[in-house]
Order: sequence, then C-alpha cells, then structure tokens
Amino acid sequence: MNWGAVFGAAAIIPLLNASIRLAVPTGLAAVGESLCQRAGVLNLSLEGMMLSGAYAAFLGAHYSGQPWVGVPAGIGGGVFIGVLMALFSVRLKTEQVINGIALVLLASGLTSFIHVRLFGVTAPERFDPISPLEIPLLGSIPGLGSVVFDQSPLVYLTVALIFGVWWILYRTRYGLAVRAAGDRPAAADAAGLDIDRVRSLAILVSGAMAGLGGAVLVVGQLGLFTQNVTAGRGWVAIALVIFGRWSPLRVAAGAFLFGFTDALQLRIQSASGGIESNVPFEFFQALPYLVTIVVVVVATARARDDAQPEALGVPYVKGARRA
Amino acid sequence: MTGPTGGADVPANDADVYDAPANDAPANDADANGAGAPAIFPARDRRLQLRPLGSAAAAVTAAFGAGGILLALAGANPLQAYADMFSGTFGSRFDFSLVLVEAAPLLLIGLGLIVAFRARVWNIGAEGQLLTGALAGGAFALYAPIGTRAVMIPAACLAGAAAGGVWGWVVGFLRARWNVNEVISSLLLNYVALRGLDYAIRKPLRDPVGFQPVSQTLPEAARLPDIPGLRVHIGLLIGLGLIPIVAYSMRRTPFGFRTEMMGLNRDATEAAGVNTGRLIMGVMMISGALAGVAGVLQVMGPESRLTGNISPGFGFTAIIVALIARLRPTGVLAASVLIGALTLGGDVIQRTQQVPRVLTLVIQALFVLLLLVADKVGRARR
Amino acid sequence: MTPRRRQSPSQLGGDRAGPDLSGPGPVVVMRGITKSFGEVTAVSGTDFDLRQGEIHALLGENGAGKTTLMNILYGLERPDTGVVEIGGESVRLRSAHDAIELGIGMVHQHFQLVPRLSVAENVILGAGGRRRVRLPDLTAVAADIEELGERYGLSVQGSELISDLSVGEQQRVEILRALYLGARVLILDEPTATLSPVEIDQLIEKLRNMARGGTAIVMITHHLDEVMTAADRITVLRAGVDVATVAAGETSPLDLARLMVGREVTVLGEAGEAGEAGESDEVGEAGESDEVGEVRGGTGPVGAAVLTVENLTSASQWGTSDAGFRAFNGVDLVVRAGEIVTVAGVEGNGQAELEAILCGLHHPMSGWIRLGDTDITSFTPRKLLSCGVGFIPSDRYRHGLIGGLSVAENLVYDRIDKAPYGGRFRLDPRAVVARGTELIKQFGIAVRTPTAVASTLSGGNAQKVVLARALRTDLRLLIAAQPTRGLDVGAIEMVWSQLRAQRDAGVAILLITTDLTEVIALSDRCHVIYRGRLTETPLDREAIGMAMGGAGVRAAGPAP
Repeated sequence: MNWGAVFGAAAIIPLLNASIRLAVPTGLAAVGESLCQRAGVLNLSLEGMMLSGAYAAFLGAHYSGQPWVGVPAGIGGGVFIGVLMALFSVRLKTEQVINGIALVLLASGLTSFIHVRLFGVTAPERFDPISPLEIPLLGSIPGLGSVVFDQSPLVYLTVALIFGVWWILYRTRYGLAVRAAGDRPAAADAAGLDIDRVRSLAILVSGAMAGLGGAVLVVGQLGLFTQNVTAGRGWVAIALVIFGRWSPLRVAAGAFLFGFTDALQLRIQSASGGIESNVPFEFFQALPYLVTIVVVVVATARARDDAQPEALGVPYVKGARRA
Repeated sequence: MTGPTGGADVPANDADVYDAPANDAPANDADANGAGAPAIFPARDRRLQLRPLGSAAAAVTAAFGAGGILLALAGANPLQAYADMFSGTFGSRFDFSLVLVEAAPLLLIGLGLIVAFRARVWNIGAEGQLLTGALAGGAFALYAPIGTRAVMIPAACLAGAAAGGVWGWVVGFLRARWNVNEVISSLLLNYVALRGLDYAIRKPLRDPVGFQPVSQTLPEAARLPDIPGLRVHIGLLIGLGLIPIVAYSMRRTPFGFRTEMMGLNRDATEAAGVNTGRLIMGVMMISGALAGVAGVLQVMGPESRLTGNISPGFGFTAIIVALIARLRPTGVLAASVLIGALTLGGDVIQRTQQVPRVLTLVIQALFVLLLLVADKVGRARR
Repeated sequence: MTPRRRQSPSQLGGDRAGPDLSGPGPVVVMRGITKSFGEVTAVSGTDFDLRQGEIHALLGENGAGKTTLMNILYGLERPDTGVVEIGGESVRLRSAHDAIELGIGMVHQHFQLVPRLSVAENVILGAGGRRRVRLPDLTAVAADIEELGERYGLSVQGSELISDLSVGEQQRVEILRALYLGARVLILDEPTATLSPVEIDQLIEKLRNMARGGTAIVMITHHLDEVMTAADRITVLRAGVDVATVAAGETSPLDLARLMVGREVTVLGEAGEAGEAGESDEVGEAGESDEVGEVRGGTGPVGAAVLTVENLTSASQWGTSDAGFRAFNGVDLVVRAGEIVTVAGVEGNGQAELEAILCGLHHPMSGWIRLGDTDITSFTPRKLLSCGVGFIPSDRYRHGLIGGLSVAENLVYDRIDKAPYGGRFRLDPRAVVARGTELIKQFGIAVRTPTAVASTLSGGNAQKVVLARALRTDLRLLIAAQPTRGLDVGAIEMVWSQLRAQRDAGVAILLITTDLTEVIALSDRCHVIYRGRLTETPLDREAIGMAMGGAGVRAAGPAP
C-alpha cells in the first residue's frame, strides 16, 4: 500500500478538506445536543433525529429533483423525532435513556420501512449533491484557501449555526434559562421560568440541527440514501458533547477531530486495495470510534471541574420533594 | 395507619420481604434525588404484577394496532397480515422451531441486560459483546484440538463468555473509575467489535479457499445438536436453564439485593458499605458474558461458521425484550418468543403481503414507547 | 422590558398597572384558604393579613402549614378554596410570575439560586421582558444590584458566582433579587435556619430598616426568640389552622409556645424552645446554663479515645455548589467512649466535607483518622461499618434510605449478607421481616407493615429507620450529622434520648450539627467549625453562637 497517498504532502490539503466535510453532520448534531443537554435533557434519540432528517432530505431532494429542497425537509425530519422526544421526556417525564433509544429504533425502522416500500430493493438513482461554493479570491489562496473557502454552502451554514448556538447560550435570555434549567430546574422554576417549555424548545433545536446534519450527509455529500446511513454518527455526537465539556465551541472542535480520523480511515481504506489487502484497514475504520472513546475518557478523567449540567437526565417534576 | 406498633400485627411467617404492598410505586413520584423512579423498574413485589403486566399487554396490543395502520397504509389487509404472521410462526412445529431459534439469543442477552438495567447501568453494547464473544468462541472452536462435543461446546461457550464479559467489563470499568457514561462507551464499542470481527474473518480466520470473507465451517464437535423433537439447537436450553438462576440471584442473594439497591439509590448503597464501582463492573461483566455466550451459540448453531452477519441486531432487539419483560427474568422467555415470532412474522408478511419486513422494527420500537405511555397512564389513574 | 434601572422604593411598583400597595388598608388579605395534598390537608380555612411596613411572623411547628400558606401567596400553589386580595383587589395567582408582577417576593428556605450562574444572572433570571431576546448588559445589572445592596446594607458583588458565596451572602442575593424585581411584600421562609447568631441579629436589623421604608415582611419561623425580637405581629398556625394573631408586645414566649403546640409545653419544650425564648428575653442570665446542664451530662464514665482525628485537611473537589469555603484545614479532634462531642457550625463551613470523609465517602488530602489504635483514614464505608462505626447521614434521603425498598429491608440493608439475614448466596426474607418488625416496635416507627415501601414514611419515621439501623449491637462510634434536621418536636425528643442512651452505654458519639439548641442539649464537649477551622469552645450558648459566626476566630468576619 502506498502510504504516501495518505500522508504525503499532496494529500494533506484534500485530507483537511475531507475532514471538514465529514465533521459537518456530526458537528451539527453535537452542537445541537450540547444545547439540549445544557437544558438538562439527555437526548439519546440524536441518531434517530439524524436518520430521520437524512431520509426526509433524501425524499425532498428525490421528488423535487432539487438537492436544496432536502435541507428544509431534513430539518423537518429531525424536528419530527424531536417532537416525540419532547413529548416523552418533558411532557410524560419518562426515563430519558429508554425513550431516547426507543426513538432511535423507531427512526431506523420507519425510514427503512418507507424506503423499501417506496423503492423496493433496487436503490433509486443517485442525484448530484449540492456543489461547493468557492468564495471568490479567498478560495484561490493556495493550500488553506481551498480548505476554508471552497466548501459546500452547507459548511458555511454550519459554522454560522455553531456560533449561533454559542450566542444563544451565552448572550440571550433563553440561553440563560437553558443553563438554569439544566443545573437547578427547581430554582429556575421558582424564578418563574417554564422549565418544560425551555427544555422542549432545546430538544426541538437539537432535532432541527441533527436533522440538518442528516440532510448534509445525504444532499450535501452522498447524493443517495442507504439504510442506517448515519452509521452511529449520532452516538459519536453525544460522546463529543462530553468531550467538549458541554461548551458548543469545544464540541465543534471535537467534531473536527472526529472528521479528521474519519477522513483518514476513508483514505486508508481506499488506498489499501480492498478485500485482499494486507492492511488491517478495519482498524482504521474503528479508529473514529476508538478515538472518540479515548478522548471522552481523557476529558472526563482529567476534568478539574465537573462541567456536566447537574440535572442532566433528571425529569423535572414540579413540587417533587425539595431537598 | 395503625400506629407505631401496627407492624407487629403482621404475621411474620406469611410475609415475604419482597411482597411490598400493592402500591409498588411510591405515592410520591420522586425518589431521593428528585428523579422519579422510572416505572420501568419493578418494585420488589412478587404478588403477581397485575398492573405492570396489564400495561405491558396494553402496550403490545396498541403497538400491534398502530402496526395495523401502517400495514393498511402499505396496502395490505392488516387482519390478514396478522393471521399470516400467526400461522407462519405458531402454525407448525417447524415454524415454531424457527421462532425459538430466533428467540434463543434474545433470551440470553435479555437476561444479562436485566441484571445491568436493574442496577440502572444502561448497557447498550450487547451487540458488541455478542460479536466479541462470537469471535473468541468461534476462533476457539475452529482451532482448539478438542474432538468431543461434551468438552468442546462448554469450553467454547466459556471462551465466548470470557470475551463478551471483558468487553462489558471495560464499559463498567470506565464508568466506575472515571464516571464515563456507559451508554456512550458501550455503544461506541459496538463499532469497534464489529470492525474487529470484520478483520478477523477477512484475514486471519478466513477460509483460505473461500471467496467470501467467512471462516471455515466449524468442526463437527463444535456443532450444536438439536433438542430432540424440535429443530432448535440446544443453546436454547442454556437460556432456559439460566432463567431460574438469574431469577434466584436477583431475588435471593446479596448480589441481587445490592444490584437493586444501587439501581434505586447509588449514594445510599455506597454509604451502606457496598463497593458500587465493583458492582457496576460486575453487572457489566455478567451482562457482557451472557451476550458473549449468545454470540458463540449463533456461531456453533444456526451459522456453523464465523461470518460478518452473525447478528442482525440481536443486541439491540434484546433491549426491547428486557423492557417488555419488565426487567423480570421470568418475563424474558415470553418476551423473547414474542419478539422472535414478530421478526419471523415480518418475513412471512413480506412473502404473503408484499409488506417490507422492517415494519416489525417499527412495531418493536412502538412496544417500548407505548409501554412508557401505559405506565404513565397507569400511574396517573392511581 | 428594558433592564430595570434602579428606582427609589417609593417609585418601585409605581410604574406598573398592578394594585396600589401603599394604601392605608392591609396590603395582603387571605381569607378562608384551604389546601390539600392528597389526603393531607396542609392549610384549612386560614385567614391572614399583612400591613404595610410591618414584620409579621408566621409561627408554627414543622408541618403546621406555614410554608404552604405562603407558597399560595407567591403563586407556587393554588388554593382549593379561599380568596387572596392584594392591595384590596382579589387576584388569582397562577405562577410566581404573577406574584412578582404584583410586587410580591419570596426567599425560600432552600435558596433557589443557580450555583453556576453569577449573582447578576440569577437576579435577571426570572425578570420579565420575555419579549427581549438578548440578555441585558450584565455589568450594568451588577452595578444596579450593588447599588441597591448598599442602600439596604446588603453588600454583594454582582459578578461573583453563586457557588463562591457563603450561605449568608446567598441569602442577601435572594433578598436583593426580590427587591430588584420590585417587591413591596417580602416573604422569608425560615430565614435564620442557616445563619449564625451574629448574622441573625444583623439580618433582623436590616429587615427592620426595610420595614421602616415601607416594605411589608412575612417571616416564617418556629423560633420563638426571633419572633419576639423581630416581629410586630405574630400569627400562630397549628395543624393548618390560624389559632391566633397577636401583637408582639402583648404576648410572651410561653404563651406562643402553648399556642404552637396546643398544650402545656413539655420538658423538651422547656429545655429547647421555651428555654431558648427565655434566654432571649433575659439575655445572659446565669440560670440558663444550669438548667441545660441537668439535661446534658452523661452518667457513664468517659473511657478511652475511640475516634482520633489528627491534622485532617480536605480540599473540596466535590459539592462545589453549596459551600462557600471549600476546605477544612488541620482539624484535630478526639472522641472518647461514653461522650458526645459536637462539631457545631453554620452551613458551608466544612461540616459537610468532614462528614463525608468520616463516613468514608471521600478521602482527605492529608491527616489521620484513627479508631482506637486502627488507622481508618482511607477506609471505605464497608470497612468502617465492619469496625463498629455507625452513621446518621445529614441527607437522610440521599445517603440513608432507599425509598423503593421496604421498611424492613431498609432497617438491615447494610448487613444483608450476614446471619441471620443471609449468606453469600442466600437471603432469608423472613429473618429480615422478623428483625424489621422488632425494630419497628422498639423505635415506634409508624408504618402499617414492615413490608411497606420506605418512601411512604414521614420525615420523622424515616429518621427513626436510619437511627435504628445505625444503632447496631457492636456500635463503638456513631457519627450523627444533623440528626434532627426537619423533624417535629416528638421525633427530636426521641432521637435525643436515643443518642443519650447510647452515650451512657459507652458509645463514642460525634455530633455534627448546625442547631445551637441541640449542641447545648447533648454535648459533653463542643468544637465550632468556622471557615474550615475547628475551635474548642466552652459549652455556653453565647460563646458557641459567637464562634459559629467567626467571632474570635478571625478579626474580619463575613462582610456586613
């Protein structure tokens, strides 16, 4: 195998380029999840939100013939699971872990069911994904220019959304309410905030962003839908929230790290020459997940202060024993 | 309230400690941490759980109802589809055998998950634990120079249990040592295990003459015989035999008692002198070991070799089995047969009604969601 | 709404359409209020009125319905029946928001502050202006709060995190928040419960100032002495009914105690509540310590040292949220067989950390703990239990009780693998129930059957379960942290007598408490912990009270 094709100087720019591209779906979901967890909801349905968004985006793009239509459709698909998540964890106050996992299974089953029903076993045709938008002048800077300024418009949107979530969390009244609801919901309640509303909205935002992440995957990159196309990115995203200590910008940085390992393994896999190769490319396939586990362990073990929202995963029941 | 001494009136000989009064769910919804003890946790009540059983039945019925709507939307006659499903799974001894073959791994994994879930340790990594178990046990069966079934099968099972147990223990260790969320770590390890198996059957364990990345067929000594009279491998018996053992352990041993204590209130359990970190590692190890055994049995039974698709997601389906069983070892048998039949029924209606079999996945997810709803409705009524 | 600029008290509330709270009549009238929770009636047909510029004490035992009544006024609970009038208009309060809009503020007993947010963020958390998306300028808000604080003598730093503040400072933030939001009616639920005696005096003085400025103040309490020094009028609640409303000048502590309890006060009442009141009437009278001395004093001989703590130091990496001072330093302590040694202190001075370390839940940074001659510094709870150490944890619902298990199981769960309850692979439920039945009888735990779920127990009965479990037969050392917090008089009496009986039987008892009355009633020797430092203090109410507030320990106490 030609390792130069992976690590050579000429390969670095495309590698970084691919890292950003691969980081976007996970990053969107992870940053949305960080808002949701700051509000105190451990949203484990994230993978389901991404999948549902990916499929809705595919349907939108397929039937309209316009990949752009997939973007709002994907957001809608994510919000659909978000509504269910809010219904269960906020309204019915069920165990968040259980309903989160059940919603992932639901999304997985529903998307597969509809897909098989609509298209049978023959995969529908690929469509052209949304093409990159090169920013004039800046994009032609050699090297870094093409990494930063010659990307899909969805990448620019993602960057804007990441800063948007940061701004919401630290600069708006709603963000203050989110932080309070995740740490001391009883105190926030006593101050007159509607905890259920704050948390529901955070779940819906998370659903919208995860749905968009799924849409990016389908209409921004692959141009097709396969069953369980998200391949665990939603779970990785949840891990990245822990790695990023619940801070949107650090979470986004973690997503880039994940994207980088993902780009690396893809490159190695394609350079290694398939099924008869002697390179254990499966190890590199597992690398993004391994790296995620390791960084989560390191981040958790080394953290001096406990950044985890105090009420994370605890349903808020008004007037429960105040202790 | 009969007053301070009222307790003395209760005849001690008829009382079972675990027979809590009928209101198994505490009147105030909140436990010490302010979190509502989820209804999915059964109280230690053995006087038959009519309400939880009732809500489970209601949820299953409602999920089938919702599935019927989807069937109708998909252009099939729901009643006919369900009739096909039933006759195609329970209709003949052969079909029912297939159901039991499908149920066998679910039964084993479900039992393990119950142990972890009762401790409130959310093991979502049974799939990976199954795969590592299958890999280790399968490799053992391929290469161990053992010629007799009576030695080979138990030994391979032990190898699988050890590998699955270690895979589970890692998750427990990370949780106990650094408080790493077990949902995340166990889930991510699934992907690692899957890739490990992929590599093993592509390179070191691959059948050298085969074209596909699969291992050689296992030696005869490592093939599970059928239960006499059924076309079901004897692995099912291991699961059946474990039911009373798990039930006894959870109910009548200090281990089970402490597992449940920890699930209800970890801080108090630690203060009561229980090493909860060790307990977390323990339950994860048991959970992983049972999943590992399920993996080996798939290799030695239905598959007869190591392949890349030993499991169509048994590790996830078993979560549903454990929840439908209300985390009761005795409920796992019925739950795993139900889910096994549903899965095979999906194949049946795909054949007879041209409805995608993945519909059954939707119905399974609805089981859980509706179970949560049924619990809440049941509580609100009280 | 723009961030509210500071206004003078007379302007506050004037810019809104709410009722006029400065009229001559009562600002708040509550008539025939009834509120039930399930089968329990917390308040039944109670009347209450509040005038401008008065401090009105709401007095009653635990569970008398004081807090429920005020939660109704603050919109947190809705009454089943009854009318609430504010400024002469009948109002329906659906949430705290409504109450805040009408100029009502409440400071809860357990402060409702978010520890990881700053003072300014906490203050504007519930402030109106929902339509505004952006946060107001936090520096300006902080400056406003500091200015408001200066006016009322409640100084705080607006930009500090709540988790860095002491309990007293947090209370100031709570009061300032209410004032900032325009409160003309201020409800304080047990405001003195977590303050040192010095801080209590300062608080009362500031409240009087506020009342003079026109604020109407409701003070919920069960301490007679505070009522007598602070209140203008007193309403006594008993079992959810208002038994009397009297002017402070026309009553006596003994009358109030009688009204509260509904009968002649008991021995405990005289030693505790009434004694406390008597003292505040005639401060520093010599008879006081003699009387308490009779209650105290162990009968058994004091034996060898059981617990020895040397130079114990702890950083507090856990529980950063509630403690203002995060460590204790160089703590030395000896508890001998047959004596009760107290570590008294106000919340947030290191008691919680000391408790966690002595119970084996955390490890100290340095120092030694010995049990007899055994080094137990890094023992786990399991090892400690097997050496004959018993615990009464301060948070009984978190560390001492498992609500989902039966009462009988709770009574023995720490020895479930020992005979007769079980072995390595075996449990004997009958033995558990039999022992449970026995203990339920012995400790008078009010429960229908030993197999009832423990979460149905009341606070007092829950504590009896914790106590019954802790008092095992091989007990050598008992760590009792806040053993009577939140209990009613009967249960307190029971806990105290059990502790005395254990002491007399030769058990070494370390009592960690914030309750001065308890210190006096039980201690053989007393240490006060202040900002993580331990000082041995004579058994004198006044001296202990001073030391709890830091007097004599460090020149600069908490900023006034």
